[in-house]
Amino acid sequence: MKSNERLPVFAIVFALVCSIVYVLCVWKNFALFTYHPASGEFGLGVQKARDGPAMYWYGWIATSALAGAAAGLLAALLPPSLAQRVSPALAWVTPLIGIAILVYILRNYFLH
Amino acid sequence: MTTTVLLIIHGLLAVALLGAITHQAVSVCWAVRQPAGAFVTRFRAVSAPAYANAVVLLYVLTAILGGVIYPDYRMSIRVVLEQLDMPMANGSFELKEHFAVLGLAVLPAYWCFWRLPLAQAYARARVALTLLIAGIVWWNFLVGHVLNNIRGFGS
Repeated sequence: MKSNERLPVFAIVFALVCSIVYVLCVWKNFALFTYHPASGEFGLGVQKARDGPAMYWYGWIATSALAGAAAGLLAALLPPSLAQRVSPALAWVTPLIGIAILVYILRNYFLH
Repeated sequence: MTTTVLLIIHGLLAVALLGAITHQAVSVCWAVRQPAGAFVTRFRAVSAPAYANAVVLLYVLTAILGGVIYPDYRMSIRVVLEQLDMPMANGSFELKEHFAVLGLAVLPAYWCFWRLPLAQAYARARVALTLLIAGIVWWNFLVGHVLNNIRGFGS
């Protein structure tokens, strides 16, 4: 498979896996690291708040980006017969479902 | 002061991004079939692929700046919104931050599908991703604008 044929496969699988993992990260709090804005310190993994709030958003991005990149690279190495089965629709259907799930997870903000 | 300057730049980049993605979304959904004349027709008659690189660059820059000023929001504004008992405002921002990440996740695919020459195999996904990103950008812009009106930086 040529490099310009591998790129769409990488991009589709990246969108798919990154979206799924990000929603899981938000739901179950799988942050690669925690940022403590009051002290400006970073800590590995999920840490409790200290001297102010703890921010997990950056850690969720890191977790999902790494998972997406790893899965995308693996998919790009697939033989052409398998790679052709990766549907481009996955790149937009998955994040759309992700949006619906995130709205559901955060529904209490709006049903107050 | 630095945060306020960064917030203004973040807002200006968001305006540019909003214009670019809206132009592209309108041109793919409501293509012009006759020579452009009136303002609305000219708005629709742009070359959609020409916007892809600008959208990617502006989206990434806007997201990075948003990430840089986010701790200040978390420390000084979110707390006030909680004290003012405004859960919808907080929830809207939570959605904004999550939607921004999902937008980043689809950005490589969006860029890939808009590469010239346009591949027919990606035609539907190209339109869907453009509309998805347009929806995210519009939501994030409006929420950011409204939140800034409630409790802007430096207020």
